[in-house]
Amino acid sequence: MSVFTLPQAEKEEVLLTELSALTEHHRRNSEPYARILAASGFEKADSVAELPWLPVRLFKSLELKSIPDDEVFKVLTSSGTTGEVSRIYLDKHAAAEQTRRLGATVQTVLGPKRLPMLLVDTKAMLKDRKSFSARGAGVLGMSTFGRDHVWALDNDGVVDLDAIRGFLDKHGDAPFLIFGFTFLVWLHLYEVARDNGLDLSNGILIHSGGWKKLIDQAVSPDEFRARLAGVGLTNVHNYYGMVEQIGTVFLEGPSGGSLYCPDFADVIVRDPITWRELPPGETGLLEVISTLPTSYPGHVLLTEDLGVVHGVDDGDWPGKRFSVLGRLPRAEARGCSDTYREAA
Amino acid sequence: MIQYRFGDSSVDLTAPVEDRLTVGDPRVLDFLAKVARKLLAPAVARRHPELGSLGFFLRPAELNRAVARMQRDDAVVFPRGNVFHVPPANVDTIFVYSWALSALAGNHNVVRISERSAAAADTILAALNEVLADADPVIGRTQRMITYGRDNAITAALSQWCDLRVIWGGDAAVEAIRKNPLRPSARDLTFPDRTSWAAISADGWRAATPASRRDAVVGFSNDAYWFDQAACSSPRTVFLVGSQTSDVRAEFIELLLEVVDQRGWAVDAAMAVEKRVNAYEMAATGAISAMEFPKNSVTAMSLTAVPSAPRRWIGAGAFPFAEVGSLLELVPAMNRQDQTFSHFGFGLDQLREFALALGGRGVDRIVPFGQALTFSAIWDGYDLPSEFTRLTTIAA
Repeated sequence: MSVFTLPQAEKEEVLLTELSALTEHHRRNSEPYARILAASGFEKADSVAELPWLPVRLFKSLELKSIPDDEVFKVLTSSGTTGEVSRIYLDKHAAAEQTRRLGATVQTVLGPKRLPMLLVDTKAMLKDRKSFSARGAGVLGMSTFGRDHVWALDNDGVVDLDAIRGFLDKHGDAPFLIFGFTFLVWLHLYEVARDNGLDLSNGILIHSGGWKKLIDQAVSPDEFRARLAGVGLTNVHNYYGMVEQIGTVFLEGPSGGSLYCPDFADVIVRDPITWRELPPGETGLLEVISTLPTSYPGHVLLTEDLGVVHGVDDGDWPGKRFSVLGRLPRAEARGCSDTYREAA
Repeated sequence: MIQYRFGDSSVDLTAPVEDRLTVGDPRVLDFLAKVARKLLAPAVARRHPELGSLGFFLRPAELNRAVARMQRDDAVVFPRGNVFHVPPANVDTIFVYSWALSALAGNHNVVRISERSAAAADTILAALNEVLADADPVIGRTQRMITYGRDNAITAALSQWCDLRVIWGGDAAVEAIRKNPLRPSARDLTFPDRTSWAAISADGWRAATPASRRDAVVGFSNDAYWFDQAACSSPRTVFLVGSQTSDVRAEFIELLLEVVDQRGWAVDAAMAVEKRVNAYEMAATGAISAMEFPKNSVTAMSLTAVPSAPRRWIGAGAFPFAEVGSLLELVPAMNRQDQTFSHFGFGLDQLREFALALGGRGVDRIVPFGQALTFSAIWDGYDLPSEFTRLTTIAA
């Protein structure tokens, strides 16, 4: 059962109705959100692009939720580069729903059954539950879609070749799931597979985490795919998602090169000067849209990621297909302040 | 690692120097006048307009005025001694103002220039070094400018060396540097975080000619946009003084959009996002009741109350507005952190009444639009020439 079914026009009709209702729901239940809408003069949207977006960074500075305190079931946090942390409030319903939708999304490429799972990461990273990182949350969230988990890295973050070999001996002749962060996959799986002649041809790789470190090493997304194919890994799906829209992932299609939006989500690329929606082919700021955030007003978010829509209804799956191209740098003031930093 | 940007690098920074300068030393005057000429060169001023103001400040007439202010008839005036300056990273010209006045007072100076200093700072240093080549060698031996990274040992040594430590750069910088003890006889001159405001008299605005309204907005836009609205003196909140002021606000914003556009001051996407984040935050907390984003260059907000006016930087070209009946209504909201209050359309008597009501509890400078960033020898409530000198009294 795919969640990538709706052509764009049909999807926008559904999303406009659902998200307009969600906007009103959050307006009624979150006072800060209601104040923002009032201050911006928003009344109603006649298209998905007119829905009022929030800058994603607001979740780092404000407590934004649309549920009473006693219904908070889970608080998710993500650490940013500057030490600020997003706080995302889920009630029982939203928590269950995000797991279910994430499952439905990845099952599009994994099939309905849980597959043996090789995690390209270290178990040690999960230990400190208090300072739980986005990486940890990603790994844990995804690990529920696999079984017989094996960690490819030992507790010191060093490749555990014996563990990988053991996993492949046991599960390598039928479809299995590989999950990890893009850079770790490149560094610790691709190179190891190449150097040791590991057979990954039955693997389905799901990876995320941004391309910056790879681009720094002059490895483009195309090159990444081509090199992985060289070690037999041809089922490769990158995804894009964020804790502020937990449960929603934009998944790379089978032929690669583009991310697709599940039926309950969409993206809009905005011109950062006019703030209007840009046509396919033009790069701008990514706005992410999802019906999943019911317990906090995160249904329409302006990210600080740059992206481009490549096409609409013309790819592996219906709807928009797009790429994430990097991050907008953080604005810095030329002010009188912050002249002297102490030695660390 | 110390990188010498100006002055003699062959002698240790804290080693005793035989040379002595006097208050208003002709060798220093001569040096600064030549630097002024370089900075006022049309090519430089075109590229870095803020260096034009600096050049103006360093002209001989201005310098002689500053020297005259150092003289007293009830005491003999001497240099304070060794002065260690820690100017801000990003307001490129402050280090020269701070240093030049101190050099003029005859002090031996060490200026720490931030690693993150911007292009204008390099232009200034190039000018200083060109003039140094033909200057009296005493300048290079007594005046040093250096860059060093996060090395507290150097800061500690210079703190022990100096008689006066000048710390710019806000509360965090002051607190960090103050961890290094001074000698008992030495002291600090600190420039902590400041907030600056603007005010328009609605009556004054309406009575003004279209040309002078426009001039006012040009002046205001210089004040606000030169340092991305982040200098201590950059106005942020604009108070509309009078009643039914929405016509004034609308025309002011319209003119501002025009002027900023003509100047070609663009606000990039990152800054636009920064401003949105801050405006949305203020809306969420109830500090503002309306926000407008006519263009990335100008963000306008309506404050719900005067005390909600933000005291932190909220982006380049971000203007909260609030209406008040009179300047006196602002008095309770002002405090020690407030530095520059730039104005349009008021009479001297109104401004004086405002200053007297403030009673020194806040606001150090009350200046017309266009002069918020104009440095002067009296700054942040200090008479700098007198801070940079010491007095000997003689009674027969």
